[in-house]
Amino acid sequence: MKAYFKVRDLDLYYGEKQALNKVNMDIYRNKVTAFIGPSGCGKSTFIRCLNRMNDLIEGCRVEGEIMANGEDIYSSKTDVVNLRTRVGMVFQKPNPFPMSIYDNIAYGPRCQGLKDKKKLNEIVERSLKQAALWDEVHDRLHESAMALSGGQQQRLCIARAIAMEPEVILMDEPTSALDPIATSKIEELVDELKKDYTIVIVTHSMQQASRISDYTAFFLLGEVIEYDLTSTVFKNPSDKRTEDYITGRFG
Amino acid sequence: MLINAEKVKRNKAIDKAARMFFLAMALLSSSFIVILVLFIFMKGISPFLPNYQYGTVNLIDFLFGMTYRQDQKLYGVGFIVINTLISSFAALLISLPISVLTALFIVKIAPKQLSGLMQAVVELLASIPSIVYGVFAAGVLTDFVKWLASLFNVTTAGGSSLLAVILLLAIMIFPTITSMAITAIGAVDRDLEHASLALGATETQTNFKVVLISAKSGIFAGAILGLGRAFGEATAVSMVAGNKLYGPTFSLFDITKTLTSTMLAGLKETTGLDYDIRFSVGIVLLVVIFGSNWLLNLVKQKVGNM
Repeated sequence: MKAYFKVRDLDLYYGEKQALNKVNMDIYRNKVTAFIGPSGCGKSTFIRCLNRMNDLIEGCRVEGEIMANGEDIYSSKTDVVNLRTRVGMVFQKPNPFPMSIYDNIAYGPRCQGLKDKKKLNEIVERSLKQAALWDEVHDRLHESAMALSGGQQQRLCIARAIAMEPEVILMDEPTSALDPIATSKIEELVDELKKDYTIVIVTHSMQQASRISDYTAFFLLGEVIEYDLTSTVFKNPSDKRTEDYITGRFG
Repeated sequence: MLINAEKVKRNKAIDKAARMFFLAMALLSSSFIVILVLFIFMKGISPFLPNYQYGTVNLIDFLFGMTYRQDQKLYGVGFIVINTLISSFAALLISLPISVLTALFIVKIAPKQLSGLMQAVVELLASIPSIVYGVFAAGVLTDFVKWLASLFNVTTAGGSSLLAVILLLAIMIFPTITSMAITAIGAVDRDLEHASLALGATETQTNFKVVLISAKSGIFAGAILGLGRAFGEATAVSMVAGNKLYGPTFSLFDITKTLTSTMLAGLKETTGLDYDIRFSVGIVLLVVIFGSNWLLNLVKQKVGNM
C-alpha cells in the first residue's frame, strides 16, 4: 500500500509556542484517514500543514519534512499554488463564494486560465454529480449559491474542490456546522469519494471517525499518540491515553 | 426577599420615561427633515404659481430651458441638470476605481504600519473643509487645466472649466468612497479568502475575484455616498466652475454651471425672482439626488443579491 504523504519529524511553532511535536505519519492513497483528539490538540493545525495553509498565519514556523507524492512540499522550490491544486480543502463552515453555483465550481479551473465554455460545463456537471448535488441543483446552476441549505453548501464546497481534479481532499471538521441528516449525506459522500481521492478528515466526533475512516490518528497536546487502522484504534488501542479518550474519560 | 416590588415598579416607570424621551428626540430630528423639505418646496414652488408677484415663470421653460440669464429673466435649468450629472458621474468614474484599489491596498496588501498610516491620511482627507479644497482647486487645478489646454491650443477662462470641476470632485469624494470600501473589504469573511487560496488561486486572483466581489455591496454604498457628495458640493465647485449662461457643457475646457453653483452665485446680492428661483433649483437638486440614489440602489440590488 502506497503512502501519498510521508511526514517526518514535523514540528510547528506559533511564535514561541510549539503546536506540533515530532509528528511522523504515512497517509495512504485512496483511504480515509481521520484525525481525532480534544480541542487544541493540533489536529487542525496538522491538516493545514498538508496544503501549507499555515503559511497564511503570521509567526507560524514549520520544521521537519512532508513529502507529498515524493515531493518535499516545504522545500523552497515548491510552488504553493500548484500544491493546492493537487491537495484540495473543505472547511469547517460551508464557505461558498457569493456568486452563482456554476461560478463557484468553475472558479478554480478559471483561475488556472481555463476559458473553454464546453469544458467548464463538463467540469461543473461532473463535479456536482460526484458531490451528489447535481440532482438538487441542475436546474438552477446560475442562481446564487448562498440560497442553498447548509448541507448543500458544504457539498458545493466539496464539488468546488473536486473541480480541480485534486489527488487529495482535506476536510477540516466538515460536518460540525451541519445537522444530522446533512452530516450523514456528507459521510456517504466521503465513502464514495475515496475511490478516486485520498481523503484526510479532522473530526470532533469519534463516532464519525469510526464510521467513515480506514485509519485514525489520535492527537494530544501536539503529539500523535496513536496512529493505526481505525478498527485497531477503537477496539484495541495500545496507548492508555487513547483508550481513555475514546471511552470518554476526558476530552 | 430578593425582589422589591416598589423597586420593580420604579424601574418600569423609568423605562417608560426613557422610551418617551427617545421617541421625542427621534420625532424632533425627523420632523426637521420634513420642515426643511416643506420650506424649500413651498418657497421653490412659488415662482410657478399664477399670482406670483414678480411675474409667473413657466414650469416647462424652467425645467427644460437651456439658458439661464438673470438680465433677460431667462431661467432654464435643463442644461444645468445635465452639467451636474456629467460632472458628478465623471468624478465618480475617476474616483471609484482609485478608491477601491487604494482600499484594497490598505486592507489586504500594505504592511500593518503603512496601512494604519494610510488609513489615517484618508480620514484626514475626509475632514478637510470644502473651502480648502476650493482654494486648492482655484490655485492649482486651474493652472493644471490651463497647461493641459495649452497643449491642445485651447484657451480657457483662467482654468475654470468642466475638467477642473471633475478633478476637484474626484479628489473630494475619494476619501468618502475609500473609507466605505475599507470597511466593506475589511468585513469580508477570511474563510472566503482561504477557500480561494486553497483552490490554488493566487493572492491577486483572490483579491479581485473573491474579496472585491464579496465587498461589492458595501463598495456600491460608498459610491452612492460619494456621488451624493459630488452632487451637493457647492462652495468649492463654485470656485472653479465659471458661470456658463447656456449649455449643456460637453467640452472639458469650457466653463460650466452646476445646480449648486447656480444656487450659490450672488445669493446675498439679489432679491425677488432671482432669489426665489434658487429654491426652485434646490428642489431640482433634491430630485436629482433622490432620483440618482434610487436608480443606483436598484442597480445595487441587481448586482448585490448574489
